[in-house]
Amino acid sequence: MAEMTSLERVAAALTFGKPDRVPAAPLVCGASHRFSGVSYGEWSSGEYVDSMIQGHLDALQMIGHDGVVALVDLSVEAHDFGQEVFFPEMNTAYPNYDNPMIKTIDDYKKIQRLNPKKTKRMKSVIDMIAGIAKEVGKTHAIVGFVYGSLGVMSMMRGPEKFFMDLIEYPDAVLPALQAMDDTLFDYAIAQLEAGAHSICYDHLYCSQSILSKELWEKFEGPSIKRLCDKVRSMGALVSLHNCGNGIYFDMSLKWANPHAISHAYVADDVDSWEEHKAKWMGKIATIGWIPPGPVAMLGTPEEIEEECKAEIEIAAKGAGFILATGCEYPPNAPLLNAKRIVDAAKKYGVYN
Amino acid sequence: MPTEKEQELIKRLQDAIINYKVAEAKKIAEEAVQAGADAYTVTMEGLAGGMEEVSRKFDCHEYFVPETLLCAKALYAALDVLKPHIKIKAGQFKGQVVLGVMQGDVHDLGKNIIKAIFEASGWTVHDLGRDVPLKNFVEEQLKTDSDIVMLSAMMTTSMVGIKKLIPMIKEKNPKVKIMIGGAPITEKTVEEYGADTTADNAPNALREAMKMLETLRKGKAA
Repeated sequence: MAEMTSLERVAAALTFGKPDRVPAAPLVCGASHRFSGVSYGEWSSGEYVDSMIQGHLDALQMIGHDGVVALVDLSVEAHDFGQEVFFPEMNTAYPNYDNPMIKTIDDYKKIQRLNPKKTKRMKSVIDMIAGIAKEVGKTHAIVGFVYGSLGVMSMMRGPEKFFMDLIEYPDAVLPALQAMDDTLFDYAIAQLEAGAHSICYDHLYCSQSILSKELWEKFEGPSIKRLCDKVRSMGALVSLHNCGNGIYFDMSLKWANPHAISHAYVADDVDSWEEHKAKWMGKIATIGWIPPGPVAMLGTPEEIEEECKAEIEIAAKGAGFILATGCEYPPNAPLLNAKRIVDAAKKYGVYN
Repeated sequence: MPTEKEQELIKRLQDAIINYKVAEAKKIAEEAVQAGADAYTVTMEGLAGGMEEVSRKFDCHEYFVPETLLCAKALYAALDVLKPHIKIKAGQFKGQVVLGVMQGDVHDLGKNIIKAIFEASGWTVHDLGRDVPLKNFVEEQLKTDSDIVMLSAMMTTSMVGIKKLIPMIKEKNPKVKIMIGGAPITEKTVEEYGADTTADNAPNALREAMKMLETLRKGKAA
């Protein structure tokens, strides 16, 4: 089989076509700042879009992965909505939970729909995608990224209070989520218009780790459906990301009908990766599931190769699989390990 | 042995905790104090008993994080009332833990659930909060002579601090036990960083802590 471009390979894998080999996408997102010449804090701030573009392009060249995921960090949307965010030099940006934007139940009313193109950080992501697409959009997969509204709002209220509000004050939370969902909907469209081939929606709380199925679908089901339907209608691929334990694949299928889910653990209704393959991988492609901490960061070269080989053996048959870390590649992990993941896909993932 | 009145209060408290009735839990605790019920017995059997059922529901995915947090809220509402009236008798003391989230990390949800379950079970918890500088763990363990230090990290960037911190704690007190937890932590991390154990949820953390405490007490008795 002739060698495909990365874009063709990823598209074939996610649509259960015939890729030449298993694509590799070790979710080198924040870690790309190490190729950019700016600090992690500067990278995340949204003020150095050119450096971000160059960082991703150089990372692609050095590591050789098949696609760029436009995740900067999870605070992008919350920051634009007004949440105070810290930008450490050498660590992931995070909200100031001592100063949440939503301090009282009444503060949910402060959430108003934004135009993402007129914000600082969401706009920087849109611009970054446009810059990357201009350079490699015809050869590499570019995946836009949207952090789901439940996740964003938990950053603006503090997760603990937010989770309790879902049960105690649903009528205050729901209108605020609507305004946020409208913004995220526009944000996804803007990323596609900038050149992304797919949108990855992070529905982190759709798992046994956090919410019941009933609670999750009440608050996020209809909005994720609207967004994913729109993405598909624009001819793009829908992917979800969830690094929680026991992800609700049935809920994901019902509300998002995704081409793929990027995940670290098996679905809630199976007990092993073999079972997951049999039950879910024919319907929803898997992007995963190399453990970021113990393997990508702390693993020896032999352990990384062994893990990749084992995952390919379980999941690669019939396509529907991209070899990746189960969550973002640790921003502080050895970069050579990301290359080892790509090398393993080339060594063990070739389709006959 | 609880009196009949105490048994009735304990049952009502358990129900209030399990059904996350915050105001109701506080009201029953006040009633217990006014009735002269033994605050320690009511706390251990009413609050801890209730949280035990909450833990069971969490373990079998009947309850999730929001429900568990609301149960903990009800627990604290009652505990605030009962605590000043608790008289610890010989043999009732469980253990002490120092608990906190590693420097550079603000994800304290898991830590807070663990705190509630440990406090409800009679442990003394020295909660250092989130984004805790390494030396604070060492100082707090020495100051309180706690049996166990529990370190939480949700990110690989904060997890690496654990590797530095464990030798700092063990150097000052080689006997102290260390439990680590959080999304990136595995058995391999426990081994590589020199911790004693890990747990993937609060009920398991309590079980592990009980085991470690037993080992420590046996060591002291020997």
